[in-house]
Amino acid sequence: MNWMKRQQLIGYLFVLPSVLGVTVFFLIPLLFSFGLAFTNWVGPAGRGLRFVGLANFQRLLSDEVFLKAIGNNILYLLHVPLSVVLGFLAASALNRRIYLRNPLRAAFFLPYLISAIAIGFSWMLLFHPTQGPINQFLMSVGMTDPPGWLASTKSAMLAIIIIATWQSLGFNMIIFLAVLQDVPQELKEAAQIDGAAGWQVTRHITLPFISPITFFLLVIGTMNAFKSFGLIQAVTGGGPANSTLILPLYVYRTAFRYYEMGYASAIAIVLFLIIFSFTVLQWYGQKKWVHY
Amino acid sequence: MAAVVRDKHIVRRLALTLVMIMLGAVMIIPLFWMISTSFKTQAEVFTSPIQWLPSRLNWDAHRKVWFGRLSFINYYKNSLKITMSAVVGATCFGAMAAYGFSRIRFRGRDLLFGLYLVMMMVPPQVLFVPKFIMFDWANIYNTHWALILPGMFTIIGVFYMRQYFLTLPKELSEAAFIDGAGHFTIFFRIFLPLAKPTLATFAILDFTWNWNNYEDALVFLISERLFTVPLGLNNFILEYSIDYPGMMAAAAASIVPIIVVFLFGQRYIIAGLVSSAVKG
Repeated sequence: MNWMKRQQLIGYLFVLPSVLGVTVFFLIPLLFSFGLAFTNWVGPAGRGLRFVGLANFQRLLSDEVFLKAIGNNILYLLHVPLSVVLGFLAASALNRRIYLRNPLRAAFFLPYLISAIAIGFSWMLLFHPTQGPINQFLMSVGMTDPPGWLASTKSAMLAIIIIATWQSLGFNMIIFLAVLQDVPQELKEAAQIDGAAGWQVTRHITLPFISPITFFLLVIGTMNAFKSFGLIQAVTGGGPANSTLILPLYVYRTAFRYYEMGYASAIAIVLFLIIFSFTVLQWYGQKKWVHY
Repeated sequence: MAAVVRDKHIVRRLALTLVMIMLGAVMIIPLFWMISTSFKTQAEVFTSPIQWLPSRLNWDAHRKVWFGRLSFINYYKNSLKITMSAVVGATCFGAMAAYGFSRIRFRGRDLLFGLYLVMMMVPPQVLFVPKFIMFDWANIYNTHWALILPGMFTIIGVFYMRQYFLTLPKELSEAAFIDGAGHFTIFFRIFLPLAKPTLATFAILDFTWNWNNYEDALVFLISERLFTVPLGLNNFILEYSIDYPGMMAAAAASIVPIIVVFLFGQRYIIAGLVSSAVKG
């Protein structure tokens, strides 16, 4: 065997386990999902698997719960810009020479690592409508009718957005902190010597420098928002009255509560296409935005 | 004059520090509340005005969580087994694939890697139904294998380690080639030792992801004795939904390993997240 062929063979050997795993646990299920979306399959116990063409997708268009889940998902996206902006503010403050810088950074970052469901249960008590500390505080400052938070259809999504913002801003912060260290110090100093005010330096030097990463964080955050599951599933299960139901939860519920596996696959495909389009947006955007 | 300027600086620095301490406290409140509540009696949980600390440390809730009917000892065993197996597998297979994708030229390599890119964005929920059917066929539904096997293959791990291998100079392997070493020798003797910090970083991150993995456990495990910590926590909360100290003790029990990993591996975790975001 010549050298080139041997080289090839060894290459395949190195990637083989990973490629096998990715094929079995990602590629085949994904293709399978596409196939199932065109069937009326109702789970292993049910019989009479039939191809139903586009019926599942037609049904989506008139499914009010599905449309509500899309609307909720878009509402839920609000936490993304919030968390990027707050993450940036935290990073710029913690990038300065202040006391206790490292413990403070840790405090802002830690929530990101903690399981969403564990911390979700803690928030559930904090948000308790009548006796929770948050409403106790609101009432003590004179609010007579504080929101019911997770228990009310009007405010449940707001409560979820608050929790999600709180949890994700630490990630954005550490990314901004890393990028802020790369902002050329000479450029800032030169501007200051030329008499630029603090906010002018931020506006004209720091902001252009961090705009590519900001775009990246917004897109990644949006994609993650369409994959969110644990927090909402554990804390509200999509309720009350579907007010916090988002697409990933609807996939789960349709498949494993109503056992409409075919229909659930159709919802899953829509979810995949949404994420796919954001990825394309990111590739395209990165070409346009990134100019290091 | 100089002293005045310096004083002004210190005042501003102190002011900003104070503001950040207050905001940092807000960030920590949910965690603090969780731990403090776990040591309270039921009557102390919701009081007006808010009582931040228990009057005395009450261990009843913790005893219930660890030694009660739904014992976290069992959930811990399950979670450790699954997490450790998945992390070891993902790190080994990931490092091998990363070497193959970065250091060996073979036909179809770039196409294959492009496929990885596409697979990376598939939301886990899209795979729920097909994986459920496949696992049912393979008789691994409702066993730990349903979490261990898929956990051994991560795409992000291949990406992350490949990125590191790409930064190593070409001469490193060329010199070894001249000495007659093959790819396996180079991989085990040169690349792996150099990549130790990178492997550790990935393993730590992967540990937190697997430990916190709630959704796969929810879909693929139904027997209570097989439950992992997040699923056990969920189950515990459903069971004791008005026992607030119990709920918080269970939540606190579930995050202990994450806090430990954070305390010892914070630097690695942050470096790993930053390099995969900024360069990835």
